Parts: sequence; C-alpha cells; structure tokens
Amino acid sequence: MNILVINAGSSSLKYQLHHMESQTVLAAGRVERIGSDTAMLTHEAGEQEYHRVLEVLDHNVAVKHVLRLLTDPQYGGVHDRAAVDAVGHRVVHGGEAFTQSVLVNADVIRQLKKLYDLAPLHNPAHVTGMLAVEANLPDVPQVAVFDTAFHQTMPPYVYRYPIPTVLYARHKVRKYGFHGTSHMYVSQRAAHLCGKPLEQLKIITCHIGNGASIAAIQGGKSVDTSMGMTPLEGLMMGSRSGDIDPAIVPFVMAKEELSASEINSMLNKHSGLLAVSGFSGDMREIMRRMDEGDAHATLAFEMFAYRLRKYIGAYVAAMDGIDCLVFTAGIGENAAVLRAHVCNRLGFFGITLDEAQNARAQPKERRISTETSQVHVFVIPTNEERVIAEDTYRLVQPRHAP
Amino acid sequence: MEGKQRYKKIGVVGLGTMGQAISEMLAQKGLDVYVLDLDTVRLQNGRRGIEQQLDKQLQRWALTVGEKKNILSRIHDCTTVHDFAQCDLVIETITEDASLKHALFAQLDACCPPSIVLATNTSTLSVTECARATRHPERVVGMHFIFPVSHVEMVEIIRALQTDGATYEDARTFVEDVLEMKAISVYESPGFVTTRLICTLINEALHVLTEGIATPGDIDDAMRIGYGFRHGPLEMADRFGLDAVLAALEGMFREYGDLKYRPAVLMRKMVRANQLGVKTGQGFFCYNEDGDRL
Repeated sequence: MNILVINAGSSSLKYQLHHMESQTVLAAGRVERIGSDTAMLTHEAGEQEYHRVLEVLDHNVAVKHVLRLLTDPQYGGVHDRAAVDAVGHRVVHGGEAFTQSVLVNADVIRQLKKLYDLAPLHNPAHVTGMLAVEANLPDVPQVAVFDTAFHQTMPPYVYRYPIPTVLYARHKVRKYGFHGTSHMYVSQRAAHLCGKPLEQLKIITCHIGNGASIAAIQGGKSVDTSMGMTPLEGLMMGSRSGDIDPAIVPFVMAKEELSASEINSMLNKHSGLLAVSGFSGDMREIMRRMDEGDAHATLAFEMFAYRLRKYIGAYVAAMDGIDCLVFTAGIGENAAVLRAHVCNRLGFFGITLDEAQNARAQPKERRISTETSQVHVFVIPTNEERVIAEDTYRLVQPRHAP
Repeated sequence: MEGKQRYKKIGVVGLGTMGQAISEMLAQKGLDVYVLDLDTVRLQNGRRGIEQQLDKQLQRWALTVGEKKNILSRIHDCTTVHDFAQCDLVIETITEDASLKHALFAQLDACCPPSIVLATNTSTLSVTECARATRHPERVVGMHFIFPVSHVEMVEIIRALQTDGATYEDARTFVEDVLEMKAISVYESPGFVTTRLICTLINEALHVLTEGIATPGDIDDAMRIGYGFRHGPLEMADRFGLDAVLAALEGMFREYGDLKYRPAVLMRKMVRANQLGVKTGQGFFCYNEDGDRL
C-alpha cells in the first residue's frame, strides 16, 4: 500500500510517498510560494531530482503538479494515480475535539474550521490541502494526524492556566502542546530499545529542533509538555523566547509603543538564540562561535541548556521518577556538546552519560548512557512523516479488508 | 477564500507616500503588486521609500530579513499603463489633481478589460468625475485608505453616482476578504466620513489655538489622552500636511458653503510660510527626517 503524506502550509506543500510494506519512501518533495507565478517545485524519487519554477496559483494546482510528478514515467514513484491508496495530512491543531488521528469526512472538516482561531496560519492551509486532494483523488481516503492529539491525555491540573476560567470557557485558552507525533514515536522507540513495556516506563522526550518542546510520558501517555496554547511557551528556541514573565509583554508594548502583532513577531521571530547571540538562531553556528570564545554565543548556549535542564528536572518531579531520557530532532540528534552539558548536571537523578557514545556522530538510534546509569539516555531520530503514514495505514486498513 | 483566489495581481499608479504605503501593505498580504509612476526616478524613490519603511518595521521586530526580502520581491515595476491589463484590480494614488486623474482613468479604461475594477484613493476629489472620464464608468469606485495604511485596518469604499452594485461588491470583497480590513460604505460626498470629520476637528483646534485658549501641546494632549486619539489634532495636521488639510477644507467650503468649513487664517499663513508639518520638518511641532516628533 502506498500512502502520500502531506504537510500543507499557507503557501507551501511538502509531501512524501511511503510504501508501507517495504517501509521505504518512494518519492518526496515540496512546492513553495504557492499563490504566485514563480512557485518552486522540488521533487526527488530515488536518484532522480526535478526542480522547476512555474505558476501555481493555489493548493489545488499544487496537488495536481504533485500527482503528475508522482506518476511521471521518469521522475515518478508510482505508475498511476490509482497507486496512491491513501493520504495522511499533518494537522497542527486539533484543539480538544481530536484526541487521535481520524478519517477525514465533511464533519471533520467542519470541526477543523472551528479551530481556525487557535492556529490561524496553519489549520486553514491544512483544510485547503484536504479539499485539494479530494478534488483530485475523489475516492482516496484521507486521514488527519494532529500535533496536539498525543497530549490530550494531560489532566486538567496540567493543561489549565491559572487565569480567569471564563477565558477557557469562551476561547478554549489552555495548554495543548505540540510535536505530539514526534514525542509519541520516540517514546515508543525508547521502550523498545530498553526492552520494557511502555506502560511501565517514565520517559522524558526532548524534541529540540528549530522549534523545541519537551514531554513527560508516563505509561505511554503524555502527562505534561512544555509548549502551551501556542508553540511559543516552554523551552528557549532558535528565534522564540519560550517562557518569560508575562508582564514583560504589556511593559515592552508600552515602552516601545508596539502593537500586538509586533510584540508577537518579536517573541516568535526575533527572540531565543538569535536574540541572545545577536547573530544567529542556528545552534551549529552558536556552538562554533562558542568554541572561538564568543561571549554572546556562550551566554545563548548556556541559557538554552539551563532552561532545558530545568524542564527535565521539573518533569522528573512531575512523574516522581525517570527511566528514560530521549533526545531527538535537529539539535537533539546532533548537538553532542549540548547533550553532555545538560546530562552532566543531572547526576542526582541517576543519569550518567557515556562520553564516547555521546560524542559519536551517527544518524541512528543509540544509547548514550553508561551500562550502570540508572536512567537510559537515548538519541532517537524522529520521523513524523513515518508516524503519519502508519496512522493513516492503520485507519484505512478496514476499508481494504476483504 | 473565493476573493483570495480572484485577486492575485494588483496595480498601483503613483508611488508617493500613499502609493508606497498601499503597495507595501498589499505585498505584505501576499499579493503581487505592479507599480507605475511618471518616470524611473520616481519609481526608484518610491521603492526606496518602501524599503525604508520595511527597515523601520524590521527595527521594531515586526518583520524578519527574509520577510522583508519576500515583500520587496512581490513589488514589480511597470513601464507603461498597458502593463495593468494583466491586473485583477488597479488602485490610483497619484497627486490630487482632477485633470491628471481624469486623463489617467481614460487611459486605464482603454487598456484594462471592462470586468476589472478601477479604484481611486482620492480623499477630496469627485469619484463621479473620475468615472465620467471612462467608457465604463460603472466599474469605477473610490477606495480611501488611511495613513499609516498597514496599521489602520479600515477603508472607505466610495460609490460614485455611476458605480454599479457588482463593482461595489467586488471592492468590498477585496477589502474585507483579501485585505481583512473593515470596509465602510459611503456614497460620494466631499470628504466622505473620515476627511470631513477630522478636518473640521483640526480646523476647530486651530481656532482654539489662535484664540489663545491653550498651547499646541496642551490642545493635543487634551484630545489624545482625553479621548484616546493616537495623535492630537495639531500633530495630525502636521502628519497629513497643512497644505493637504487646507485643500480639503477649501474643497468642502466650496461644495457645502457652510462657514464651519472655512479654513482658519493661521492655517493659510503657515502654508504660505511653508510650515507644512512633518514633510518640511516644521508645523505646529518640529520633526526629524524620519518623521519622529522632536
């Protein structure tokens, strides 16, 4: 069975075609600058690469181009459109309505539209992507996989904010959490790697990429996570502030005469590593300059590491213990120096890092704690597209059963 | 969503202060903007002005370097009015001169398909007269944006006598669904709603000043703090340009004949002295080159 995984943004569309039985990616690519006559189409299948600048005025046309390329005799991954058996969509916000992946139907679309306020940039684009697929592949089942769904197991004392209840009732202001597919996937892999049932484990997963979040997973269920109503809360990130005193917002707005959208842009795009270092939001660049003795880079790195370590401590307390600590995503998988900096100050919790294992650069699942460490520490490359493909596969199976 | 599909390319004629601000706002909304001015020097000046505005926003953290680049890449230079034939809507923002506007509308009318709405950003001139200059007057409408355009999410849509329902509906869809701004529907009348009310307030503030009732700073603070204006009436006059306020008041005085529109004597004197406000650095208050009050 072939499953097309789609991540539709407001002016972009990324895709991967997965062959489920062989667990391989047949083709992958993206369309950028949708809505212009200079849209960029990039497609890869095996050794073949295809780049083109062309007019793509909407998502519908983008999906047409993708399907044409997927079935192209030279660049394609499959012979004809009928070989796409199902489509899985990444959806950023499922609100409280969606606690797991679902088959897309008219009712799901209706509910997603109600959630536009919570993810004004993302959810409308996802719905547009679903409608475009429906227009081009009318009989192919579609599945929505939510970034928020995995965290819907958090209890109210975790997800509510201590602000007037009426705001929760009126606008659903609460913690939702994100990167759910990633936290779920790496926690399952961690259980597999330490050979114990997920139900018996207390796992902390650190998804540290351009966006960063950390989750406390007890018995396979997310019990807390650092991102909140939006992906701004929690850890310090590349260009996002993460946690700050909320009173800073009205204070800076008044002092600098900023509008709501300007302060929002400041906190999301001009903060984090970028703001403290003054030159880059890229952790590789920060660590390079830190090696050269740059004081700003060092401060940015130390703040980043300290805030991550503090969250790990908080989640050990939240679960009254820890069995596994997992690092994943761009920074988590590659920044050995950061992992060492964080773990070497967590000895109190029974974490002992194997320095040699940690320093080895290899893009695969591995243990980086010592044999005697009470807590298993893993590096596990995340694969959100794979989770979306697998969820889609699971949900469409009954339809294909004899 | 339907409106977003229909409007991709917008023409803007005239890259003065308003033309720059409107082009910048349209490009920020993800539209492709085609700009035209009398010559390449003006076009370059206009583009530089837009870039300066974006740099200011960059300093205020409202944009990233990438976003700035993206916005500028959506603004395309035109060499002739015929380039607008490919646009889904054209907005005119040239100097407030009736005969120039009429000539431009006749040209636009000749090269744009009749289904395309032609809009004028005039704040004082007659939209009906602009419409008369065309062979398809039913597709001409007024779109009065307020400066600073990206921050004032309201547009007056002015119906000329000849504007038909479909044109008005198209303009409203564009403003509300594509620009996501509030559309205020007005029938042609000198000064519409905004210019008529704000110019009378400014004129009255000048009377209060000349009568020696309060200082310029106190007059502005009273209205700013007391009634929640962003700027007081005198600073507003400085920002619009005293010559523009004078012209608007004279137009309304001529049209309505009501003494309440007669421009205050002090305003004429200051215009004669070239104390026009922000653009000359001196009006009721002093300003630096960036337009910040000193």
